[in-house]
Amino acid sequence: MIRFFIGLFLRATVVLAGTALATFALLWHAPGDPALAVALARYRAVVPDAVIDQIRAEAGFDTGFWTAFVHWLAPMLRGDFGQSAVTGRDVGPDLLTALSYTTPLALLGLLIGLAISIPLALVATKRPGQWMDRISVALASIGAAIPSYWLGLLLILLFAVQLGWLPAMGARTAAHIILPALTLGLGVAASLTRILRSGLLEARGQAFLPAFHRRGVGAHAVERDHIAPHAAIPVITVFGLELAFLLEGAVMVEVIFARPGLGTFLVGAIEARDFPKVQAVVIVAATLFVTVNLLIDLLYRVLDPRIGERNA
Amino acid sequence: MRSIMLLSGALLALAVLGPLIAPNDPMAIDIPNRLGPPNPEHWLGTDAMGRDILSRLLHGARWTIGLAFLISVAGLLVGTALGLLSALGGKVVDWGLMRATDTFLAFPDLVAAVVVAGLLGASTGSLIFALTVTGWMRYARVARGIGLSVKSRGYVIQAQLAGLSPLATARWHYLPSLLPSLTVIWTGMFARAILGISALGFLGFGVQPPVPEWGTMLLDARIHMRSTPLQMIWPGIAVVCSVLAINLAGDALRDDLAGQHHAQ
Amino acid sequence: MLNVDRISVRRGKALVLRDISLSLEPRRTLAVVGESGAGKSTLIAAILGLVPCARGHVTWSGAPLGSARPSLVMQEPRSAFNPQLSLRRSVLEPCVAQGLAPDTRRLERLCDGLELTSDLLDRRPFEVSIGQVQRIGILRALIAAPPLVLFDEPLSALDAVRQKHTARLIADLQAEEGFAALVVTHDLGYAAAYADDIAVLRAGKIEEIGAAKAFVAAPQTAYGRTLRDAAFALGALERVA
Ligand SMILES: Nc1ncnc2c1ncn2[C@@H]1O[C@H](COP(=O)(O)OP(=O)(O)OP(=O)(O)O)[C@@H](O)[C@H]1O
Ligand SMILES: [Mg+2]
Repeated sequence: MIRFFIGLFLRATVVLAGTALATFALLWHAPGDPALAVALARYRAVVPDAVIDQIRAEAGFDTGFWTAFVHWLAPMLRGDFGQSAVTGRDVGPDLLTALSYTTPLALLGLLIGLAISIPLALVATKRPGQWMDRISVALASIGAAIPSYWLGLLLILLFAVQLGWLPAMGARTAAHIILPALTLGLGVAASLTRILRSGLLEARGQAFLPAFHRRGVGAHAVERDHIAPHAAIPVITVFGLELAFLLEGAVMVEVIFARPGLGTFLVGAIEARDFPKVQAVVIVAATLFVTVNLLIDLLYRVLDPRIGERNA
Repeated sequence: MRSIMLLSGALLALAVLGPLIAPNDPMAIDIPNRLGPPNPEHWLGTDAMGRDILSRLLHGARWTIGLAFLISVAGLLVGTALGLLSALGGKVVDWGLMRATDTFLAFPDLVAAVVVAGLLGASTGSLIFALTVTGWMRYARVARGIGLSVKSRGYVIQAQLAGLSPLATARWHYLPSLLPSLTVIWTGMFARAILGISALGFLGFGVQPPVPEWGTMLLDARIHMRSTPLQMIWPGIAVVCSVLAINLAGDALRDDLAGQHHAQ
Repeated sequence: MLNVDRISVRRGKALVLRDISLSLEPRRTLAVVGESGAGKSTLIAAILGLVPCARGHVTWSGAPLGSARPSLVMQEPRSAFNPQLSLRRSVLEPCVAQGLAPDTRRLERLCDGLELTSDLLDRRPFEVSIGQVQRIGILRALIAAPPLVLFDEPLSALDAVRQKHTARLIADLQAEEGFAALVVTHDLGYAAAYADDIAVLRAGKIEEIGAAKAFVAAPQTAYGRTLRDAAFALGALERVA
């Protein structure tokens, strides 16, 4: 058990180090002189070579790859993400602000997704193969094929442009979150419905269940005590997967709805070639993912001691 | 199985023949007729530069579907090679490659692709690189799993004793076991690549205008959403239909293989 | 000449082979007998380098064995064939691998000797019986005229008549081509009739090793005697002794 935990932590650490290395290697090899890019972004003008050299020395770009990597990584380990290459402001607080916009959006999206997919999956699996089931599978398939940015545009077109019911762009009022969250939630619902449906079917199909019915255990009790725990493991997996889906969806949705948040922060930073901001998003998101996956692995172990490693 | 053949055939035909059956030149600018509604001359109307939308969609098929095909096949080759290397290369290689896989999986692939394509500079080349480099991991995991199980089978040991070359061993003994699962994954990744290409195009990090890639077309259309909403509908429908067709084909293929498995 | 020099093999934590030494000259046959789980299949795997030796080494005339292209008849005959390929393809694989043109005369002769019809070879492994696939395994092991053949219970799935015919064919071919043979078997009658030497393996150690005739007449160890007497009781040795 102890060995198992140590192994998990070791893996998580290696993965994080790998992400940091991959990110830095990408920046290092990105076309053009990184110092020049910083200078252009900061001064928005042609600058003398001396200034570029100074930036290069400041950022440690003039040393070798590994020295520069350590120079780059060390402050980040202390939680210091440095200053924006463009505005010179600290990246950390800006990133927190962005997160404070993305978190409610993601949560609301997840909530909407659950609110749609759970009833749909339950109704569908009452009579597998019947028309209700077919309709929900069809809906989920179509939902999975609709790109979130297009769905967002369609919703804007319908509710904001044609009907004028809801605001679309920005985040000025509380109502501004409705359309983005709906866009995100419909996407979540499509993928969740499929996963929940097959999870429920699998749990229902388990051989030992008919015996309970014959012994007179109420259908309700069976549902609660025997199906639920078996559905729990896939559900935890799903949350791991949905987290990726939510971040991905949030990036697209925020751009479409011109909403401040992690997505607009990232896309804006990439467009401005504001490397410290890009790095900060990548490292924070990767840390989040690795932590969540670590927790999921631990939860698996607790729920089902038979499972050693999820992916091995 | 037949329906899959039909669907993939239709998609492939669209990608190959689309430009040939396009009624107009997709680049022909016609400012007086800009943002025109559907009419007998331009079945789906014209865009902001007066270009024929139907022709742009048909030419776009080659970009979106063709690039997605290229990217998904590149991911298949890279992932399978790394997965087999992991399975057959010994403990150290395996550990290293699997941690590399975890690293690439530690991030939603579309976001990673946005970062990579964005930082490398918007171009078709960086689009292909970005989506391939973020799209090989699932193949690698599956290829490794199957490789590990095939490696210890009697017939592989016999081939090894007979001195069969690694290439021939891969071709005759590994490939037949790998192919079914990899094909199913490939359909999923093909669909994802279409979504990825159009998403990056839409964000401005992918194929660059004036090339009529579907995501890029959506980006163009978005500005004129109020005046000509239809212009924005068409590329979206094209994306949805292709992705749906590929996903359905993948589902059918998977069920088919599961059925075969039961039959044996 | 095969030389096995004091090899030990680990499987998991357990030492399943301990200090095994033996040698085998061309034209000679060594039978390896012993109880189930004694380590006979592991010995073959260790000789072929399919499992690593914790100690000791295996050589063929002073060089590593691999380059001599020894062949193997597996204990589980069906798993030795790729289910996706026709049996003919698998049988000819050693020739293809070594870039030899398939020798149809040889193939026909071996098929005759093993009583295999040509159409059997065009089927796939799960479309023939176990006894048939076992003989096809022998066919594959002999097709490329190897200098050393390792048989792991090659006759276990055959009826008495086929056992006799197959053993005859192997012996004839050996007399002509002079390969060395190591045969794992539970059949002491077969061992006494066809092998020059017998090695008795027990719990990973060689209990005794010596000429086959001498072993049948007078085993040197208590375990050897038990083994021989059991074979007598079953009637397997009468025709030899
Ligand atoms: N992969 C393995 N991992 C761990 N132990 C193993 C493995 N394979 C075999 N063993 C053990 O090694 C010992 C020798 O096995 P081996 O297959 O060589 O026996 P054998 O003499 O061929 O028996 P049989 O006559 O039944 O074929 C046995 O105790 C077995 O349990
Ligand atoms: Mg054995």
